[in-house]
Amino acid sequence: MSENQNINYLNHPKGIMSWLLTLDHKRIGLMYLFSGIIFFLIGGLLALGMRLELAAPGNDFVSNDTYNSMYTLHGAIMIFLFIIPAIPGALGNILLPLMVGAKDVAFPRLNLASFYIYSFGALFAIYTIVNGGVDTGWTFYTPYSTQSTSNVVPMTLGIFIIGFSSILTGLNFIATVHKMRVPGLTWYKLPLFVWALYGTSLVQITATPVLAITMVLLILERFLGIGIFDPALGGDPVLYQHFFWFYSHPAVYIMILPAFGIISEIIPVHSRKKVWGYKFIAYSTLSIAFIGFLVWGHHMFTSGQSVFSQIVFSFITYFVGIPTGVKIFSWILTMYKGQVSFTTPMIYALAFLFLFTIGGLTGIFLGAVALDIHLHDTYFVVAHFHYVMQGGTIIAFLAGLHHWWPKSFGKMYNQKIASLCALGVFIGFNGTFFPQFLLGLRGMPRRYATYSDQFSELHTYSTFWSTILGLSIFIAILNLMWSLRKSNKLDPGSNPWGALTMEWTHTSSPPHPHNFESDPVFTNGPYDYDKVIVEPTLKK
Amino acid sequence: MSNEHHITPLRTYLIIAGSLLFLTGVTVWVSYIDLGSFNIILAMAVATLKATLVVLFFMHLLWDDKKNLVIFVMSLMFLGIFITFTLLDTGFRGGINPEVKTAIKSKASFYDNLPLTDTHGNPVESHEDHHEGEDDSHH
Ligand code: HEM
Ligand SMILES: [Cu+2]
Repeated sequence: MSENQNINYLNHPKGIMSWLLTLDHKRIGLMYLFSGIIFFLIGGLLALGMRLELAAPGNDFVSNDTYNSMYTLHGAIMIFLFIIPAIPGALGNILLPLMVGAKDVAFPRLNLASFYIYSFGALFAIYTIVNGGVDTGWTFYTPYSTQSTSNVVPMTLGIFIIGFSSILTGLNFIATVHKMRVPGLTWYKLPLFVWALYGTSLVQITATPVLAITMVLLILERFLGIGIFDPALGGDPVLYQHFFWFYSHPAVYIMILPAFGIISEIIPVHSRKKVWGYKFIAYSTLSIAFIGFLVWGHHMFTSGQSVFSQIVFSFITYFVGIPTGVKIFSWILTMYKGQVSFTTPMIYALAFLFLFTIGGLTGIFLGAVALDIHLHDTYFVVAHFHYVMQGGTIIAFLAGLHHWWPKSFGKMYNQKIASLCALGVFIGFNGTFFPQFLLGLRGMPRRYATYSDQFSELHTYSTFWSTILGLSIFIAILNLMWSLRKSNKLDPGSNPWGALTMEWTHTSSPPHPHNFESDPVFTNGPYDYDKVIVEPTLKK
Repeated sequence: MSNEHHITPLRTYLIIAGSLLFLTGVTVWVSYIDLGSFNIILAMAVATLKATLVVLFFMHLLWDDKKNLVIFVMSLMFLGIFITFTLLDTGFRGGINPEVKTAIKSKASFYDNLPLTDTHGNPVESHEDHHEGEDDSHH
């Protein structure tokens, strides 16, 4: 492929302005990727800071107020600035048009606008950080959030703005899937990552406006004293939680669906086997997206919500387990009797299967209203959502990053280091968060800088392993960046893993500025490993 | 779009505009009749009907690609889900703790600073139809 490397989207056209004003989905994707990684780093440092404080029972390093700011910023940055915008924005943008055989997304200018709206919103978040933080928790619950003197307004305004970027990206992806597919690529031949992005986009455009409304109502209440949420003003604080979770429960599916998509791509490629239950996986994506809208009350079991709605929400929550289980079984059956190779992306994918299953099952525990009355706002919840968000989404993101890195840059990273880091992430993660399940069961509440002595052993344990986790992720990312140096001669070829989706089979790595040198012709289904023989171009 | 551009006769526009004006009249008229909590339901129903007419005729959704209609109906459905489930909470509160059944204050304090008026905007000393639970709205 060396002659193609002369012209590709990375080196043509040249100059900083050609990047800042680019309409190329791949370049926009890379800009999302790098801004996302920066916020991931900031959020990660805040997390390590918190673990340091929690290593011993007292206020050893930071005051209670600082600690409040730290966990709020950690949550808000990780969710609103990294996971939600940057994962579909980065991997989705780079891959979607390539996977459907298109030259770009349906609305390239809108795509660039989304990125700048995201950056504009991020400025508010940065302002919040340098201006002393915000201390309400990432959920901004009323009535405290209408009274707190910290930077509630800048932060919520930032989130409001970033929401528009999510909506526009969703719209763009939906239009792309409907209108830009290459002839012959029917719905049931789409790669499952495309289905996942489609489901994610549907949730983004239907749920995100509600977040925007919620943030506006909060700001209105603070400035004009209109009684919506604050009981002292005649409002209903529980109504805030309805608004917030009507968005934020579906938002957890905005976070996990792309991860499901990534795993559905990686497992068949590295098992050399046709994906098991294609339609089951595709439709479970849509049904998760829909059922996700009917369960938000499970975050409100101790809020004073009526007993009747508790029972309804608890009951519906169990149903989410069905499509999720369908996916897990499909992935396991895909590997069954396949030629599984333990490449770096595959190690992450296997870690995902293990960790996400624990996360999802503990979600079902929490969905049982009687149990949740005991576990709500304890470390059990903290462990649950880290098992799904970090053990699920972020591990899948790392899997995808290692899988498509040679595609995006035409360079191969050091696979030994990468695989060691993947193991480090897996072990460090379990070491950090499994003790938190036990802490929660024993009654340790979340969001405190101090705790009573009986919890100290498990907390110290958790802090110790968190350093291994942080270090492994850090080295994994450095290892990827290091592969970009000029002197790196490891050439992965255009299709290092021997995959069958169009982004690998029909274009060079890194791709041509217009994706395909000539109009691509759709030849084979994305997982036809039983029909087509394709050789990996990566030399062992 | 698959079908060619639809041209709506002027007469249709005028009929729809007339109905919208008529429905506005209905909204104003029913606001003078005390139907209790049914007032708000009626007002919302009329408003929804009007919005539907605008979307179907003025914005041509009726003749447009049916996919767009599906999306419009879906957004109404999500709104319905949100309101229904939230009412399952507020409508059934107090099952275990009766004291959470009613709000601490049933009116925003915003109203404390406004002079009291009757329904025509004329200043009055106090409101005659005094409902239970509103005692604290004006001291
Ligand atoms: C198998 C499906 C899942 C079920 C049944 C489930 C259930 C629950 C329940 C009942 C809670 C509330 C616990 C409490 O506050 O007392 C909860 C919290 C949470 N879940 Fe899940 N969950 C599932 C999957 C996910 C996924 C995939 C994600 C994200 C990727 C996620 C993210 C969260 C977050 C962030 C919270 C905590 C919110 C907070 O209070 O700060 N969950 N989950
Ligand atoms: Cu939830």
